[in-house]
Amino acid sequence: MNARCARLYNCSACGLVSQRIDAGVSDDHDDIECPRCGNALHLRIPDSLQRTWACLAAALLLYAPANLLPILITSNVFGRDSHTILGGIGDLWDAGSWGLALIVFVASIAVPILKIVTLSFLAFTAQRCSCARGLPRTHLYRLVEAVGHWSMLDVFVVVLLVGMVNFGAFGIVEPGPGLLAFGAVVVLTMLASASFDPRLLWPDEVDDNPSPAHG
Amino acid sequence: MTDSTAARPAPPAGPPAVAADAPAVLQPRPDLVICEQCDAVHQRISLQPGQTAHCRRCRALLGRGHRVSLPGLLALAIAGMLCFVIGNLTPLVSISVRGAPDPVTLPEALWQTWEAGQPLGAMLAGATAVVFPFLVIALRLYLLWPMSRRRLPPGFMPAMRLLRFATRWSMVEVFMLGALVAVVRAAGLASVVPGPALFAYGVLTLLLTSSSAAGLHRLWQLGSEWQAEQAQQAEQAEQDREAPTR
Repeated sequence: MNARCARLYNCSACGLVSQRIDAGVSDDHDDIECPRCGNALHLRIPDSLQRTWACLAAALLLYAPANLLPILITSNVFGRDSHTILGGIGDLWDAGSWGLALIVFVASIAVPILKIVTLSFLAFTAQRCSCARGLPRTHLYRLVEAVGHWSMLDVFVVVLLVGMVNFGAFGIVEPGPGLLAFGAVVVLTMLASASFDPRLLWPDEVDDNPSPAHG
Repeated sequence: MTDSTAARPAPPAGPPAVAADAPAVLQPRPDLVICEQCDAVHQRISLQPGQTAHCRRCRALLGRGHRVSLPGLLALAIAGMLCFVIGNLTPLVSISVRGAPDPVTLPEALWQTWEAGQPLGAMLAGATAVVFPFLVIALRLYLLWPMSRRRLPPGFMPAMRLLRFATRWSMVEVFMLGALVAVVRAAGLASVVPGPALFAYGVLTLLLTSSSAAGLHRLWQLGSEWQAEQAQQAEQAEQDREAPTR
């Protein structure tokens, strides 16, 4: 049973279910409020796919500078050195911290690009209204939502290193322009997954499970 | 994993016909739960502590039985505030290249990043590691302090909505791992001694995770019940005051 067909609204803020009992036509741009908390109620996130695509496009555009521009600049009496994200991972690897190097690689390089690819795939299939295989695609969506904020890791690492390593002639760490691009990628991919509506991955018919599976 | 119970699928009542082009009329259905991820409708069932309910169709988590009482949650919030204050006022690490150790606090590190020409990067880290975690703890204190004594704080609804937003953007656990990576990388350049703030943030991570595990549904439920009670009492008092004048 689908909530949309029964004209049941799920408040995204407080979780109260309300049923629309007048005869008006419901669409996603209804101007109605939750009777409990006053939050705007929608059957689906309005303009979900457009918003998702916009955030994804911006994130993809910034993914290149985020990885090519230096995120850290170290300088001491012997000169200046720029480090990209990948370079930082190399430093960790060379220092023997393979576990941490792997964690940073996954959080900073793999997760952002996998998020962009996965959400593009989900948005593309939702747009084509292909409602088959809802379960594996919902699992993918849940995975993207769960790992999303871990990409912020490198932003924290840079800020802390800048604060910690400040010894004048012996060594200074400064943040590079890559930090801004990288932070923007993380925020944009989080916004993209927040504006994607996973309910678009499921069929809309009234009786989608006519077999006596529920017992 | 705790044992899970799937909520029963519900047969919803069909909408009765009313005149067209009327304004939207909504009837609350607190007896139902809708899966946020696949839109399946379920009957709400009450859960025992530690039980979880999952969607029949997509296996999404629908709800969790509460293990911690309201005063317990309040205690967690007070402890969280203590950890937050320690975490921001004491040094995260003491670092020395030669000579006297140089203690570094989290606000100092953010300020240095700001000064070094990355104010937006500093704001992003400051928002997710300091501002939103603070909002989460402060709002939980503000809500739970009166609610653990069966009273509603003023501005209950906006506070709850802000809490939900702040929880999404609070990244204390990611900051914790970031601090670990930074310490390891700095240890190659100088001698680094972890400070009290690092441990305070570690405890804060555990406190925030355990206190927000069960979600906000119980607070919404109690809040709306008490609000209805208050309205009823106010109406009663109004009637009592009017009665003798007639």
